[in-house]
Amino acid sequence: MGLDRRAFLGLVAGGAVGTLCTPIPWKLIDDAAIWTQNWSWIPRVPKGQIDYVATSSKLCPAGEGLRILRVAGKPVTAAGNPDHPLSRGGVSALARSEVYMLYSPSRIKSPLKKSGKRFEPITWEQALAEMAEKLGAAKGSVACLSGDASGTINEVLSAFAAKLGGPGTFLAPSEAQAAAKGMKLMGGVGQPGYDFENADTVLVLGADIFETWGTSTRNRKAFGAARPVGQKPKNKYIYVGPTRNNTAAVCDQWVPAGAGDLGIVALGIAWHLLNKGVVQTGTPGFDTFKAVVNGGFDPEAVRRATGIAPETLAEIAKNLAMAKAPLVVTGSPCGQGLGAAPFMAGMAINLLLGRINRPGGVYALPELASVVPGAVSRAKLLDVDLPGFLKGVAAGKTPAPKALLVYDANPAYGLPETATMATALEKIPFKVSFASFMDETAAQCDLILPNSLPLERYDDVATPYGSGFCIYSLVRPIQKPIHDTRPTGDVILALAKKMGIDCKFDTFLAVLKEKVAVLAKAGGFVATDVMPWQVAAGAKAPALPGNLWKALESGAAWTMVGQVSQTGLGYGAEILAKAVKPTAKPGAKTAVLAPYAQLRTGTPTTGIPCQDLTLVPDTELVGETTLVRCNAATAKGLGLKDGASVTLEGAGTRCQAKVHVFESVMTGVVSAPLGYGHTAFDIFSKGKGANYLGLMTVAEEPGTGLSTWTASEVKIA
Amino acid sequence: MSSHFKEFPITWGMVIDIDKCTGCGACMASCQTENNINPQPEASNKLRSTSWMLVYELTNDKAFPDHDIAYLPRPCQQCGNPPCVSVCPVVATEKNEDGGIVSQIYPRCIGCRYCVAACPYHVRYFGWYDPVWPEGMEKTLSPLTSVRPRGVVEKCTFCHHRWTLAKDAARAKGKNPDNLEDGAYVTACVQNCPSGALSFGDIKNPKHKVHELIKSPYAFRLLERLGTNTQVYYISRREWVRKLGDNYLKSE
Repeated sequence: MGLDRRAFLGLVAGGAVGTLCTPIPWKLIDDAAIWTQNWSWIPRVPKGQIDYVATSSKLCPAGEGLRILRVAGKPVTAAGNPDHPLSRGGVSALARSEVYMLYSPSRIKSPLKKSGKRFEPITWEQALAEMAEKLGAAKGSVACLSGDASGTINEVLSAFAAKLGGPGTFLAPSEAQAAAKGMKLMGGVGQPGYDFENADTVLVLGADIFETWGTSTRNRKAFGAARPVGQKPKNKYIYVGPTRNNTAAVCDQWVPAGAGDLGIVALGIAWHLLNKGVVQTGTPGFDTFKAVVNGGFDPEAVRRATGIAPETLAEIAKNLAMAKAPLVVTGSPCGQGLGAAPFMAGMAINLLLGRINRPGGVYALPELASVVPGAVSRAKLLDVDLPGFLKGVAAGKTPAPKALLVYDANPAYGLPETATMATALEKIPFKVSFASFMDETAAQCDLILPNSLPLERYDDVATPYGSGFCIYSLVRPIQKPIHDTRPTGDVILALAKKMGIDCKFDTFLAVLKEKVAVLAKAGGFVATDVMPWQVAAGAKAPALPGNLWKALESGAAWTMVGQVSQTGLGYGAEILAKAVKPTAKPGAKTAVLAPYAQLRTGTPTTGIPCQDLTLVPDTELVGETTLVRCNAATAKGLGLKDGASVTLEGAGTRCQAKVHVFESVMTGVVSAPLGYGHTAFDIFSKGKGANYLGLMTVAEEPGTGLSTWTASEVKIA
Repeated sequence: MSSHFKEFPITWGMVIDIDKCTGCGACMASCQTENNINPQPEASNKLRSTSWMLVYELTNDKAFPDHDIAYLPRPCQQCGNPPCVSVCPVVATEKNEDGGIVSQIYPRCIGCRYCVAACPYHVRYFGWYDPVWPEGMEKTLSPLTSVRPRGVVEKCTFCHHRWTLAKDAARAKGKNPDNLEDGAYVTACVQNCPSGALSFGDIKNPKHKVHELIKSPYAFRLLERLGTNTQVYYISRREWVRKLGDNYLKSE
């Protein structure tokens, strides 16, 4: 039987129809579609067992607990740890980027030695030998700078520097410094801690509490918890400052006032409270304080100095007086350089209202005990003024140290009067950086001994400034160091041993274990089911677990609702009388610079996290140019137009910017973002915008002697 | 407006309290790392950058000192009547997934960008370039979301993979995966928001918080007059914010 044409066509057609009825052609088409998107250069996602481990953020100053998602043992993403009191599940844009930062292009991959204008990789043995030799020669003139305000590493660094001799250890300027100075001048002891969770009316003077000030993630959690979605808020927040910043944006009221006038505003509110007679009178120096306030801070005087209407201040005072748990928080709108006097003025209101060591008020928190012999206490470290010291070095008034150790700080970028600070750094002949990323200071150093990142090392977070309670969390390695880096604590202890300096410990892990052992004897509890603010409000604290180290390694935090009893805390009225004065108003072609910082642009030591550049809006950075904000009245006065390119000049430095006319900036003020204008780091940071910190002029605060730089005048053309 | 799209017994919805949002960007950072969106050095050019979650700055347009601002986080609105689905010629985006999540099937997408043009909320992004991570950073990719090549459109999926994980977790505990407890499935942005501005849940489930929240007198949706019937709700006690949610005549 032959196959005729008709049968052949039938067979072909039948076969075609039959094939179409099978999944084969559809599967092939589907596969082809997938293959067209399956190129070898598209990264593959990792495969393996998924698990979660807990640690704490060290890159983010808010110190939140983290929950790290791992795949096959490697960290992938960081989220907030719901069981940690400083996180409660929240996380900042910076802390969220902590895993990505492990692979940042700007990471320093091995020890480096300066050779001409370039760096040559060297071994750790060579680096330690060089360090020992140079530091041995510089004995008696060694300075150390730490940017870690809450780590036990400062005990190791300060003990080592003290034994080498010289100017000692400095902390990078922070809000904690102004607060510590203020507390000391008021005769108080302890670190101020703010109980937002139990407060019902919060007056915020300048501090950007929901972005950069203190434990900002925890602050926002406390704020959010008292404001259930869709319901009437259970508390009231009032913000006083030069711009409607991220904090003011969610507060119930914004009262525009210059950063230099915050002390006046506070004493103006004190005037109303004093004249209402709703104050506590037993505090030392009350009569003098009353005389100072009545003598120069009546409503009319405050209106002349700040432009704030008397009825506005009266209303704030009434809110505070009627509240069951009022709280006043003072800080710098840009996170640094405020000076001690505004803090003291704000604390004076807390004193008047009897809010010290009370739930919802300000707790004076004790410092956790030191374990490294010869270490300098945090209170003493905060008492030293770095910008003042470097300014003296630049001017030749203070002898330059022969050697400088820089840990977790970037003074060549992150200090005001950047040009002056650079001059001072140039005078120091031997500089060592322990940076993890190639920042501006590391690029100027003679030797770089790269620190492992927090996800690669043991470290700790001990009561960061702003916390309303004592807290201690452990940072633990989630993976082995990716590059040839070492934890600086171990490096310093090895170096000390090599130089014959006894620091008692051989490894930093041993230091931390001792610290935890001491904590276990100090009382307190591990916050899991009961949180410290609940204990402050009367809840019973649970018993401390038998193995505290194990509990901390699992991501839990040790806390204590401790308080230092105050015997001499007073108003510091004589100092306030000298320090709180009206600031000069800007001239015709000048404005007051009001910088603001945001965690999405990182810190001076991290640069802009690569993932976070996408978060920056085009009202802040367009192309490679940053935008400064002023309102229409200011723009008109200065002859500026929206979108115009301008040059800002101050402290001998010039910066470029574009103008963004924006009405949530008070008249006479130009608001500028910080965190830009890096000359180091990587393509995500370098050359993006300008560093407006360089425009800020450092001045000595009358009466306190502390360096301040919050309200500098700049020329704009 | 009647819908030709089907109704879903489970309807995942997000409620965003604008009055609690500080504009910090933690939600955006969370979204980027959760969903394998690569770091973009040119991200200061918003025409070229991709952000499934984007925080907009709103103002009341008044002069100082009466000026006011608010921040509006914008994920995919997961419309009940999605304009993007109707225009897709290859069925790469559909409204047929349980939960009412508008899907985006990358292998089917031919990159015509009709959906980008159709979306009134600008939630869709076209990949103009292949995604590139700095050397070594690809080790931090999430295993839960695929990496997209250039030439396809992508958007927020309400972290759909988390729903799968939540259902698996429920099954492992012997619970009903179709009746998850409130909070068992939340998106990355909701989980990490430090202010608690974002809430998430099944808006049809009375046991879920969002079921009540969407009935708030202060709740509104974006461009409601278009009839898109979105599953993202916003809440603000400020009238000027609510008014910005849609286009109104001066007399309205």
